[in-house]
Amino acid sequence: MATLTIILTDGPYISECAEMAVKIAKAALVHHKVNIFLYLDAVHIPKGSQNPVHFVNIGRLFEELASNGATIRACPRCAAARGYQAADGVCQEYLPGIEITSLYDLAEMLKESDKVIALSK
Amino acid sequence: MRSVFYMLDVAPYGSEKAYGLLNAAAVSIKMDVIVGLYADGVYLALAGQDSRALGVPNLSDTIYAYPEMRVIAHEPSLAKRGLFSQSLIERVELVDDERFIEEAVASDSVIVL
Repeated sequence: MATLTIILTDGPYISECAEMAVKIAKAALVHHKVNIFLYLDAVHIPKGSQNPVHFVNIGRLFEELASNGATIRACPRCAAARGYQAADGVCQEYLPGIEITSLYDLAEMLKESDKVIALSK
Repeated sequence: MRSVFYMLDVAPYGSEKAYGLLNAAAVSIKMDVIVGLYADGVYLALAGQDSRALGVPNLSDTIYAYPEMRVIAHEPSLAKRGLFSQSLIERVELVDDERFIEEAVASDSVIVL
């Protein structure tokens, strides 16, 4: 089984990157392993209390991806800078299945990947 | 995947992008890592950076700290910005259009943040 890693750096609504990542990941999960690394402003994507009025709730889509088998990790430095704290990877403000771990996880994801897509505006 | 080409095409200070890119490159050094400076990204190649007044880390320190990372700068981008006669960080390699593309294509992945 081939592995795809997607790197995101934008917040959930400033661009369509997060939504594109969901569509790509959803399709890829049918036959492949999918990793997603949330970097820089993308660490806002899994915030649990999102309530967009005119847009789809991106956080919920990522929660669904995680429950369907995607490995989704967030950068701890970026998360801490934006007020998200984690204990053993688990952040109370995050939706289930998405952890704040280590930037070294990005390197590991890249190493095990057959393809990498970085989406950024 | 055994090699990664991280491309920086924005100025080093003024956003978190260059800092984030260099940190990602630094943790990737178990693979072959190239940082490619293109367009405004070539400002990172300048020697004598002093970011203290900005209150952010001096990004050239990361380049010095990780000799495992190859750093290449797109020479035409430097020339277009009038930076050709400026002092550059010693270990930054200047490359032309063709060589820049060759290095990117030869890597297993190209990451632009």
